[in-house]
Amino acid sequence: MIELLLTPFYYEYMVKAIVVSGVIGGVCALLSCFVTLKGWSLMGDALSHAIVPGVAVAYLVGLPFALGAFASGLLAALVMGVVKSKTRIREDAVIGIVFTTFFAAGVLMISLFPSNISLKTIVLGNILGIADSDIIQMLAISAVALLVVGLKWKDLLLFAFDPNQAQAIGLNTTRLNLMLLALLAATAVAALQAVGAVLVIAMLVTPGATAYQLTDRFGRMMLLACLMGVVTSMLGAYISYFLNGSTGGCIVCLQTIVFLVVFFFAPKYGIVAARRKARRTTDALLIAGDAQPVPALRGL
Amino acid sequence: MNLHHLLEPFQYRFMVEAMLMAALIGGTCAVLSCYLVLKGWSLMGDAISHAVLPGIVLAYIVGAPLAVGAFLAGLLCASGTGWITNHSRLKGDAVMGVVFTGLFALGLVMFTKVTTDVHLNHILFGSLLGIERSDMLQAVIAAGLTLVILAVVRKDILLYLFDANQARAVGLNTTFLHYLFLALLSLTIVAALQAVGIILTVAMLIVPGCIGLLLTDRFGQMMAIASGAAISSAIAGTYISYFLNGETGACIVLTQALILTLAALFGPKYGILSRARAARQAAARYDGV
Repeated sequence: MIELLLTPFYYEYMVKAIVVSGVIGGVCALLSCFVTLKGWSLMGDALSHAIVPGVAVAYLVGLPFALGAFASGLLAALVMGVVKSKTRIREDAVIGIVFTTFFAAGVLMISLFPSNISLKTIVLGNILGIADSDIIQMLAISAVALLVVGLKWKDLLLFAFDPNQAQAIGLNTTRLNLMLLALLAATAVAALQAVGAVLVIAMLVTPGATAYQLTDRFGRMMLLACLMGVVTSMLGAYISYFLNGSTGGCIVCLQTIVFLVVFFFAPKYGIVAARRKARRTTDALLIAGDAQPVPALRGL
Repeated sequence: MNLHHLLEPFQYRFMVEAMLMAALIGGTCAVLSCYLVLKGWSLMGDAISHAVLPGIVLAYIVGAPLAVGAFLAGLLCASGTGWITNHSRLKGDAVMGVVFTGLFALGLVMFTKVTTDVHLNHILFGSLLGIERSDMLQAVIAAGLTLVILAVVRKDILLYLFDANQARAVGLNTTFLHYLFLALLSLTIVAALQAVGIILTVAMLIVPGCIGLLLTDRFGQMMAIASGAAISSAIAGTYISYFLNGETGACIVLTQALILTLAALFGPKYGILSRARAARQAAARYDGV
């Protein structure tokens, strides 16, 4: 039995996949805290799709894919900014328009110039077949992202919570905005190969959203999110060996399960805790002599 | 490049069928996109269109029509997002992100465990040119149903989406309308998926409405413009893809994006150029005074 459980570790590609997933999962989780607080979930969604044409061009021209992907992610963010400020279309619609158009352009390019990239790999990822050069690219991106967050996390935090306050104390919010966008694009690029364009969104949202329900302190939130990101990613990659299927799918399923468990059972903000608190409050009110339990509380 | 050459696509049955299907689906999506864009629900289409995947796989395992499974999974995503948002301290956009990616991931894992003759590629990217009879029939039924229901409750849904309190005050059942609208959205997405794939469905549910929004202030006109733009770009996109020999869905969406760009630049009232001109004239008048 133990023998069976250890088999994935006998294969070099599995060990690599587990380690790389862990790193990426951790970095994405770190950023997901900012994303959750800023309400940028859709930005992660958008950027991860918008990098597709960049990947296609980079492969066609022979550049490192990360470079093309990053450039096209930033271009998309720029276009969104311009369209939003120049037209009467709402922000969410602008995001939707720009990323789907970018994605369509990527799909068209790939169908016009067939090369050895398949669209399916971009959308779904393929960590088991990852090349060593790609691993190096990913690790480099992750290291830079970690470094930037490590140096600037207080500024970024203030910017995410209260941009006006950040501006008032003299921070350059335009630069912080760009920095956060660039970080998002870079991690989306790094995670693309591991879990694919669609599931990057989950890695950039779910850990932060989960940790947010567990604590009120940002430092602790980052720690919890990171922990969750690393553990679920490594475990997901490990499990996918036995399921013989989608690594990204396994990772994100695990993350969603953790999210749901926390959603129900979190000590302070979980459904169960809220119910119990509501009941206790009603009881207290009844004892205190109120004839009727407060309907609003009963309904919780 | 003579006339004969230009007419070539129309001589193939599959091309004509693809154009008609694209026009039907594009038109239906366009009608819904007007509501979505104005309500600020643009990304609801995104979420639902990803979330249908597990439903499709389950339906395949059980042997039910794929559209039914997709429809149920879509509804689950929409109602689950609503419920979790109401019961947690998270913002709606984050919850939506968690729910739809979770469902999509579940679908992927399930997909690798069952051997199906549903091609993941078809769900992800659509296959307008190779669409099968039965799928076509399903799509026509789904689109027809959506359009008919929408035509019947058009005013009620409009009132509900823009002023829920008012709708409640005049005695409409808003919960019913809410779920009815989500159901129609799911139904349309199911129809569109097989033709153009997940991500390009998202585009078809946003772009036409925005084109309408840029050109008019009246909802009826907006709907007419959106459908017109969607239908013509569906036909043009399919037609162009024949000559380019490129992905059909992508060509349709890029055509829509082109129309949107033109509308954003040259729209008579809200276009960037006409606004700039108006500002210049105002400045000139001011100088003259």
